[in-house]
Parts: sequence; C-alpha cells; structure tokens
Amino acid sequence: MSSLKTTLSGYAGYRGREGHYSFLLHRITGLGTALFLTIHIIDTSWVYFAPNAYQFAIDLYRSTLFGIGEIFLVFSVLFHGVNGLRIAFFDLIAPKFWQIKKTRSSTRWTLAVTLVLWIPAAGIMIYNILHHNFGMFGG
Amino acid sequence: MEIKLKVFRYLPNNGNKPHYDTYIMQVNPTDRVLDVLEQVRADSDPSLAYRRSCAHGVCGSDAMRINGRNALACKVLVKDLGTNEITVEPILGLKVLRDLIVDMDPFFEHFKSVMPYFINNEPLPSDGKERLQSPEQRERFDDTTKCILCAACTTSCPSFWANEEYVGPAAIVNAHRFVYDSRDRAAAERLQILNDQMGVWRCRTVFNCTEACPRDIQVTQAIADVKKAINSGKLE
Repeated sequence: MSSLKTTLSGYAGYRGREGHYSFLLHRITGLGTALFLTIHIIDTSWVYFAPNAYQFAIDLYRSTLFGIGEIFLVFSVLFHGVNGLRIAFFDLIAPKFWQIKKTRSSTRWTLAVTLVLWIPAAGIMIYNILHHNFGMFGG
Repeated sequence: MEIKLKVFRYLPNNGNKPHYDTYIMQVNPTDRVLDVLEQVRADSDPSLAYRRSCAHGVCGSDAMRINGRNALACKVLVKDLGTNEITVEPILGLKVLRDLIVDMDPFFEHFKSVMPYFINNEPLPSDGKERLQSPEQRERFDDTTKCILCAACTTSCPSFWANEEYVGPAAIVNAHRFVYDSRDRAAAERLQILNDQMGVWRCRTVFNCTEACPRDIQVTQAIADVKKAINSGKLE
C-alpha cells in the first residue's frame, strides 16, 4: 500500500479517540484556511493586474454560497487557532499534561471554546446574508 | 454468543488480492480475540496466519487492529468490544507479509537507531559492584521501561502512516528509557539522533500511541519530555 493510501485509510478508518479526531479537524481546518488565504491573495492581486476580474471576485464573495463558506472559514480559523494554543501550551509549557484524561477533556474544551467564539460570529454573518442577499430585516 | 468475525486475508504470490473472510461463530463472551482466531484455525481455516507467543500480554507478538483500533489480541475480551461484529486487520503502515502478519523489520531498524542499550564506559565504583541509583532516579524512567515492542503505538501514528522514515513512538520511548537513566552516559548522542525532522519533531501529538499502548505507557508525555530535553539542553 502506498503511504498516501495508508495515510488516508488510517485517517478515515482508524477508530482513535478524541486526539485522533482533533488532529483530523486541525488538518482539515488548517488546509481550508490555507486554501482560502491562497485564493484571497490571488484575487486581491487582481486589483492591480485585472480590475474587472477583481470586481467579479468581490461579487462572488457577496454571493450566498460564498457567505456560507465564510461562516465555515471563521470556524476553521478559530478551531485551528484555539487547538494550536492548546498543543503549544501542553508541548512547550506543561508536558506532564500529556495524559489520556487531560487530553480527552482538553480536546472537548477546545471545541467548546471554539463554538462559544464562533456561534455569535456565525449569527452576525447569517444576519448579513439574510439582510443583503434576501432583503430580510429591512435590507 | 454468536459473532460475525471478519478477518483480513492476503496470501502473496498466490494470485489472490487482499480481501476479508467472514466467519459466523459461537464463542464465550469472556473469550479473547486471540481465542477467537485460534478457534478459526482449529475449526474452519488452518491457513489463517498471525503472530502469537505468550498469549498473556507480555511478549507483544499479537498486535493487530481490532474493530479499527490497535490492541493486543490476547488482551481484548469479546464482551468488551460491545458488538457482535468483530473486524480484525493487520497493524497499519508496515508491509503485510501474509494475513495479519506484517514485516516488522523497519520498526526494529528504528528501534535500533536510538541505541536502546546501556552505555557507560566509566570505571566501576571502587567496590567493583553495582552502579547505584536512588529510587527517585529509577522512578524518572520507570514508565518507559514497560515497553514490549508490540508496535501498537508506532502503527497507530498518522505521522508513521505518512512516512515510514519517521522513527516512531516506540523508538522514542526506548530512547527515553536510557536518556533519563542516571547511570547512562549517552543521552546527548540519543538526543542528537532524535533532534531530526524524522525524529521527535515529526510527532503531531495525535495521542493515538498513548491510547493504543497495551502497557499504559504515557507515550506522548515521554516524547514531550525528549522534545523539551532537546530544546532546553537539560534533563529534568
């Protein structure tokens, strides 16, 4: 089995505990954020290189589909950041915390903190989509 | 109780592709997965191949994926799986030689690479007897002396699945056992070996290794100890 096939089958098929799923979510949110940043750098460069295309990109960002995507983007950035802080704290400051009990509870806490930060932001973003794209709330 | 056992099968050079065989069997809830496999060999298919030796969780021969999770087949009771459907597969990341048997050579090469043996060329104490250490000094590396080299940790690690060159959790645990031994004198050399992209820095703290260890070794903590020792240059 190639290492890519092994890796992907392990990612999807290995029945790990909280740490495994936290790692997967960290990877997915990191890749999602990196992908968005790459696209965003390219479309911002169009201000100079291709102004018409830039306007098209901005219109696309204002579409409902992109708006929903941005809600998930905010989740990705928040989870990746909070989980990164958790890992850095354990790894650099308190290695003695790398225990099964503490890892399981800290991954749950990480998700809870992310949701607490994300839900209000998602609410504002959903309001904006409904307001600007669907004319609701006096839009 | 009746169970449905699904076992990964692969016999190289026989034209067949990897596949799963299914067996419907009557077993006792207190049987271990190893007992179930023995029953298959005895009653249904003597060609089923897997490693086993002591069958009591000491030799570390029978690490395999049981319902998607690494464990020793001799330590898992059927009733503890909480289901009547049991899937048994070889550990991941090492080449399958046949059925549940994998090529352990790369694993042992990584183990050897960290010099997992006592090194001290200083003269013996004046009485010519033992090199003494305090209970506290012994306690510092007690956890990592428990490793039985079953490879359950290394083959549960996503970093190892992605790159076989990664030294892996088991090798780091065995390095830790000597790095923190107050009588040993080669800690600096071992830390230098592990201070590599394919050494401790490949660890992503996924924690699968600690969860999979049948000896309950705090593997991720041992790796973090080694990382900290490399960073600080001190053994605490």
